[in-house]
Amino acid sequence: MGTFGIRKKITFKMNSGSIQSENFLDRESSLGVLLMLPGLILLLVFLAYPFFLGIWLSLTDTRIGMPGEFIGLWNYTDLLEDDIFHQTAWNTMIYAVVTVPFKALMGLGLALILNNKIRFSNPIRAFVMLPWIVPTALSSLGWFMIFDPVFSPISWLMIEMGLIESNVNFLGDQILAVTAICWVNIWRGIPFFGISILAGLQAVPPELHEQAAIDGANKFQRFVNVTLPQIKGILMITSLLSIIWTFADFQLIYVLTKGGPANQTHIFGTYAYQIGLFGTEIGMAAAITLYMFPILAFFSIFLLRYMRKTA
Amino acid sequence: MMVGSDKQKTLQIYIPLVVYTLLLLFPFYWMGVVSFKPTSDIFDLDLNPFWVQRFTLENYLYLFENTEFASWMWNTMVISIVSTALSIFCSICIGYALARLKFPGSDFMGIGIFLVYLVPPTLLFIPMAQVIGTLNLFNTHWALILTYPTQLIPFASWLLMGYFLTIPKEIEESALMDGCSRIQILIRIVLPLSVPGILSATIFCFTLCWNEFLYALIFMSSGDMKTIPVGTVSDLIKADTLFWGSLMASALLGSVPVAFIYSFFVKYYVSGLTASAVKG
Amino acid sequence: MEKVNDNQLKSIPEETAENGVTRRQIIKTGAAAGAVALMGGFPNISSAQNKTLNIVRGTYFIPGAQEIAKQQAAEFGKQAGVKVNADFLNWTDLNTKIGAGIQAGGIDVIELWPVQNHLYANNLVDMTDEAEEVAARGGGFEEYVLNSGLVNGRYLGIPHGNNAGTIAYRISAFEKAGVKHADKGGMDMTWDEYFAVAKECKKMGMPFGQSLGHSLGDPIGFCYPYMWASGALEVGDDGKTILFNTPTFEYALNKFVQAWKDGYDETGTSWDDSSNNRAYLSGKISSTFNGASIYYASKRRDDGGELMNDTHHMLMPKGTAGRYHEFGTQTMGILNNSKNIDVAKEYLKWWFQPENFDKWWRIQEGYQLHHVKNLADDPMWQDDPKMGIFKEIPKYGRLRGFAGNPNEKASLAASKYIVVDTFAKAVQSGDAKDALEWGERQLKRIYR
Repeated sequence: MGTFGIRKKITFKMNSGSIQSENFLDRESSLGVLLMLPGLILLLVFLAYPFFLGIWLSLTDTRIGMPGEFIGLWNYTDLLEDDIFHQTAWNTMIYAVVTVPFKALMGLGLALILNNKIRFSNPIRAFVMLPWIVPTALSSLGWFMIFDPVFSPISWLMIEMGLIESNVNFLGDQILAVTAICWVNIWRGIPFFGISILAGLQAVPPELHEQAAIDGANKFQRFVNVTLPQIKGILMITSLLSIIWTFADFQLIYVLTKGGPANQTHIFGTYAYQIGLFGTEIGMAAAITLYMFPILAFFSIFLLRYMRKTA
Repeated sequence: MMVGSDKQKTLQIYIPLVVYTLLLLFPFYWMGVVSFKPTSDIFDLDLNPFWVQRFTLENYLYLFENTEFASWMWNTMVISIVSTALSIFCSICIGYALARLKFPGSDFMGIGIFLVYLVPPTLLFIPMAQVIGTLNLFNTHWALILTYPTQLIPFASWLLMGYFLTIPKEIEESALMDGCSRIQILIRIVLPLSVPGILSATIFCFTLCWNEFLYALIFMSSGDMKTIPVGTVSDLIKADTLFWGSLMASALLGSVPVAFIYSFFVKYYVSGLTASAVKG
Repeated sequence: MEKVNDNQLKSIPEETAENGVTRRQIIKTGAAAGAVALMGGFPNISSAQNKTLNIVRGTYFIPGAQEIAKQQAAEFGKQAGVKVNADFLNWTDLNTKIGAGIQAGGIDVIELWPVQNHLYANNLVDMTDEAEEVAARGGGFEEYVLNSGLVNGRYLGIPHGNNAGTIAYRISAFEKAGVKHADKGGMDMTWDEYFAVAKECKKMGMPFGQSLGHSLGDPIGFCYPYMWASGALEVGDDGKTILFNTPTFEYALNKFVQAWKDGYDETGTSWDDSSNNRAYLSGKISSTFNGASIYYASKRRDDGGELMNDTHHMLMPKGTAGRYHEFGTQTMGILNNSKNIDVAKEYLKWWFQPENFDKWWRIQEGYQLHHVKNLADDPMWQDDPKMGIFKEIPKYGRLRGFAGNPNEKASLAASKYIVVDTFAKAVQSGDAKDALEWGERQLKRIYR
């Protein structure tokens, strides 16, 4: 995200270096380090150190209240044979990847609508962002009740309309539960995609559209040939960010299903939480979370490269 | 940009808009309806659940009288405000340093900060619990005030760095020639010109703090120290009885402050959000 | 006798507690406790000045019990000249709190759930002497306490019983289904009979309900006993051999799968501990496994006692291998990194004296089961016949991890919900055999 900016900066810096006199450089370098310090210290103590501690823990058999001994990669290989872990990894993949096209499509729809002169556009924009702004744990509680096996208004409505006979098992049937968590994730993500794509739409120079119209293109053709290429970049970046964030999700699943039924909605975060804090197996839990790292790295580096390319 | 002049076109826009709005806002409507119903009505499956038959404030009263909701609100506010302030302070420094200063390691720092996205709380929470334990910060505000910035500083720094870069160098250079120190330039010249950027970063950080769950869940154990999301999820279920009305009331009330504050700064929030996607 | 002063009076809750205990009774308790402490020759803890005793417990379902515990802690503090912090955390927070306390200190007395005394054996003070004193005074510990309270022959906390679950049911529904003496409660059914009733009730629109989700209480409370009653164990007494996938259990699990379709609310796979309460209280189900909380909630309802009168309890049905309840004792322990071990011991010794403990126990009207044999015949049991059957539960108590030790492996198996998920998978797919094989594989990995 920041590297593009940095590249430009480096060029700037070269220029600024040539303008400034020598005795400023010293001050500059020490001031620079000084300014970086507060943030760096926080990041070192509360980000870098825990990260390496986590790696160490994952190589031990530490439990709550019991210091562990070094056991090498035993936790990692053990997880590879754990059925529940396989399910967890698979669930996380599905959850992170499958939701993206839906978020993108519905976000695109929202952006296209908002990209018009409409009344009350400011309040409307504020309102449609709410799923994204409001704490996920709280909005998930709302969905938790909407999906409740006894009190769901959706079930109630469908029974009233005679469509079904008994309450829907939204969170207890495997397919429905996965659909439910994906839906809440999509619901939450629509505003993010919508607003980002909207910014992209508004950045499309109107001349391009006018030119295409003059050339005889209809609305749909204009959309495909003018609009889409312009927002391709945003779509890509937003999608990658969304995958990265969804991968590292926790509260949505925790509130809705806690990983159930029968582990069918467990993701890395919730499984590690269950094993570490209820099963007291700290070392194993650390290993579970670290399995996320290569995947996050893959998508992050992909994002980085993509942004450099389009820069 | 399409200009809807026909009635039909307007319908093409307004009807989908209404559908989207209903879809996106329904859960909040639901929370409201449930929170204003008496418990017996909530449990009465013969009643239409979509609106309130008998209006009552008993759930909200219960929330304030029998739970530690007020504490949760206080904790969340304090933690969010202080974390945000701390993060913005650090981010301004870092953003400026990376934007304007050349110093050893600055190239690496830029990428390094971005790499922070590789270590989300779900990856760090296990060892983090150990660190917080060793520092004896369990169940204190500091546990969160010190850890939240690690999630906020990277993005805020990047955002602010971008804003600082848009300030014409000439202004700063002429000030330098006039003998101002860099710190003075930062405070007197750069910051006032970057207010939109700072506001964006601030509102972003604030909403992220309010939304944090995992660290708060693990580090805070007593009812009066919890934040709203954690308190609502864990303390409104006494033994095995769920207080639906108060649960929805808490969820709704817990969302109000951040939605309220955000509504004043929509423009800034949006520009902050899109900066990440557009500016790239 | 110490007079109760104004400050103490103010610290007593305004309303009467849930079950009608009046302020006067609570005051009397406090005064009596104070008197006993004085008369019992309260030990001289001269260095107790400026000390703070931190007591951490789970929230008590019966608010009156929590009030009494709080008030008793304050009372002790005054007697001993120590500041006392009594915290009551909800159940899921206790785990993290214990972890934090072990790591960084700050907890002196901790209420431990079954198995936790094994899990944290390295971090607890040996309380064998004190525990045996309590047992001797009370006519001996009940057998389930011996099975779950001892860790390698030592007591690492003083056992104080536990709350237990059993089958709650709607009398009217059972009578319509043809069950004799449903209004008397305590029926002695087999699982086959119970499932047959379920089928009838579901036909009437009121199925049975059971949680098979990932929550700490009901799913385990139901599935483990069913497994044991059907002739299967997680592990044998050598702590290694998995005796889970047995022919009798497969047969029984198939029966359950059929009963799930015929007689249960099939959304139970998504239920947590509170879902069956809600379902029962709103009249959607006619029977479920639960603690006494459903009955208590029905007492507080605004319906003229209709639901309360229509509710009764019975023990878990019998299977081919007997009748079981998943049940072990909670214990009050002291963390060995505490700076106030002496004071903590004094507190526990004081609290476990019958004059103090029994008041706390009786106010729960059977929600908390007894730890010593003397209390099995306590007159409290006569107060409400609907709760009578609860006192029989300890006889059938067995703890997770049986027949191995209730150690970290048992805890890991429970926290991974292996047994519960076996049931959930079986009812989801209809294939009990497959589910059993999965469960067996998981258990094998844990008990390697």
